[in-house]
Amino acid sequence: MTINKPSADTSHLYDGKTVRSAAPSRKKAAGQVGSGSEIPQDAIPKVEIPSFIESLLGGPLVPKMKFLPPDKMVQNLQIAVYGVLVALAFLTYLISPPDGTMWYILSGSLGFANIMQLVIIGGATVCGFMGTFKRDARFSLGSNVLFILAILRFASSKTSLSNDAFGFQDSPFLLAVLVVVYSVLLIMYFELSNGVIRYSMLDTSIRTNEVYVMNPKKIVSKYHRSLIINPVIATLLAWFVLSANTILPRIVGIFSSDTSLRMEESVELTSVYGVALGTLFVFITVGVLFGLNLPTHLQRYREKQAE
Amino acid sequence: MWSRKSAMLGSLAVAMYMLGLTLRNSQLVTIAVVIFVFLTWAALVGNHADVSASGRRAEEWTGEEGVALGSVVAMRKLSSARMFEDGELNVTLRMQNTSSLPKILEVRDRVPEVMRIKEGANYILMELGPRRETFIEYTVECPLRGFYSLGPVTVRIQDAFGLFHKEKELHVYNDFLVFPKMEDLKETFVKSRVPKIFTGAVNIRQPGPGSEFYSLREYFEGDSFRAINWSAYARSGKLMVNERERDAVSDIIIIVDSRAVAETGPVSRNALVYSTRAAASLAKYFLGRRDSVGVIVYGDEVVSVDRDTGKKQLYVILTKLAGAVARGNIPLQVVVNRILPHINKGSPIIFLSNLEDDPTIVNALRDFRARDFDVTVLSPSSLEFEFDAKRLDRTGYEVMKTERDVLIGELRGLGVNIMDWEPDMLLSTALAGARGF
Repeated sequence: MTINKPSADTSHLYDGKTVRSAAPSRKKAAGQVGSGSEIPQDAIPKVEIPSFIESLLGGPLVPKMKFLPPDKMVQNLQIAVYGVLVALAFLTYLISPPDGTMWYILSGSLGFANIMQLVIIGGATVCGFMGTFKRDARFSLGSNVLFILAILRFASSKTSLSNDAFGFQDSPFLLAVLVVVYSVLLIMYFELSNGVIRYSMLDTSIRTNEVYVMNPKKIVSKYHRSLIINPVIATLLAWFVLSANTILPRIVGIFSSDTSLRMEESVELTSVYGVALGTLFVFITVGVLFGLNLPTHLQRYREKQAE
Repeated sequence: MWSRKSAMLGSLAVAMYMLGLTLRNSQLVTIAVVIFVFLTWAALVGNHADVSASGRRAEEWTGEEGVALGSVVAMRKLSSARMFEDGELNVTLRMQNTSSLPKILEVRDRVPEVMRIKEGANYILMELGPRRETFIEYTVECPLRGFYSLGPVTVRIQDAFGLFHKEKELHVYNDFLVFPKMEDLKETFVKSRVPKIFTGAVNIRQPGPGSEFYSLREYFEGDSFRAINWSAYARSGKLMVNERERDAVSDIIIIVDSRAVAETGPVSRNALVYSTRAAASLAKYFLGRRDSVGVIVYGDEVVSVDRDTGKKQLYVILTKLAGAVARGNIPLQVVVNRILPHINKGSPIIFLSNLEDDPTIVNALRDFRARDFDVTVLSPSSLEFEFDAKRLDRTGYEVMKTERDVLIGELRGLGVNIMDWEPDMLLSTALAGARGF
């Protein structure tokens, strides 16, 4: 039998009766100890919500759990990070000469700017090594920020090198290749250093039975495949996008050879604005394809093909 | 759906692109373009999300279903739908891929927060082949009573770098019930002063001294001649005696305080947890003794289980106790006023409460005593729970303890059998203490 909740006014129950009230101190203390309709603090389950920075890195800055010693997968990733880090440090130094850096603008001294640039690149490399070796996301984050800081140059539209021992400066093509390779290495460094933390967490979770992984070899091999395929495709696509300013005149040339010639000789189109214009065209096309929900249609097509 | 990592990379690329255009720096533009391309490729391969997790039930779900996840089906089987606290529940989750393409899935079966995974895992990373199915088994430990639900099953597909993901909630729910655990009692020292054979006698479907006919059996030496059924003797030629159905020994009324204040203390150690366990143990004991037991649980409403006997009654009581939620603040006087007309005179009443925050307790119990009810109060002390959890300083504890002792003394003066039930005390010890043993 369930009786509905009575009305809040229960005064009629006490008509003609002496109602004993609890002592005020008791009521006060009872309020302090959390009596009432509030949910007791420990009744609320502990939910670990990653902070903004943590979610950027794909894991906690200071992990709550101690990572277990790295397994082979993590060790391989660490070695890959060391390799990429050395290459990245070298290329960063090569393509970011001290002139045009913030330090040069502030101090006006090329020597000081050079030292600062070397210190930043060195700091980024050391932080990167430490973050990867210790599997500490804070160092990795610091390294990422320092690498971005090192590449920020407030000068010129042409790529210049701090050291031209290989004679790249004379070939615009090789210079462009160098910058594209640098960019791919930078993004791969972000990903790999992040991967060390992610896979350390996953490995620890597997070994502490928090997560169960069925057929881990396939999952790991997918990641390994992506580590090779994605940068290659990114390089090729980026090259295509960056060459849009040379491809565009050829497309226009189908309709008008004069206009095409004028475009090829246009200073604007061969400058950074030309690259930007080409990029804009390509990404507008990509945007339209996404707007038309191409990935979903592709997936549906793949599902149908597999039937 | 974009992850924050991809959002960060996207923002970095936009910033570099804009800065590159502003400064006419082709290096920055190139880096930005490479990052854009990297993200675009990941989105294309990862099949950019069209479904996101919402935490809503199926009937409220209005979102579009993802193509890749549309072919993933989940089913769940539980080892039991009812169990006692600290019991274990084996869960078997069956995942099916009805598509012709293999899928790498992250699967998380949502388990109530208070439960602990004892064996296996509810979070699985798996590769599910085309038109294949797999079984995931795990065991959860259920430490607290209540109505619980397992589910939904959250499935996620993401690209290898975790840049874009797609989630779907498979609305597969399984409800189960956790009863409060019970202590085996040898003796409760609670007996009715009024023979139950009179007003409101309840048949308990067991032969014994009673008023209702139960069955016929052969005569044995020592049986009363008055019990011989002469008609049956005439029919069968054997001496047969009437057996009568035994009446219940007494009505026992158990009142459980489930007001919001009853949950003061840690989640696993508070007055409500102790009260429900005590009520379950007492109900089991009395029903085992062939008494009829009624339970009243009050908080924001008065919920009662009418007096009855037998095993079925025990499960009815356990179900009500499992669902008792700390809510509201109905005074005990309201409960007493409602139930008084319906209780047989002299029935033992057992009241389980921390005696906090209710100015009507003394009057309400006085009303019972004035009508000669045998009242036993077991009061799990919220102060002890709070003090043990270090939420209460020594001075505050001492002051409130003194006030509690005064209240208990006052109730004892009314002739109430009362015991200040400390957290580590067994129920049987507390009962013996209340009854003066």
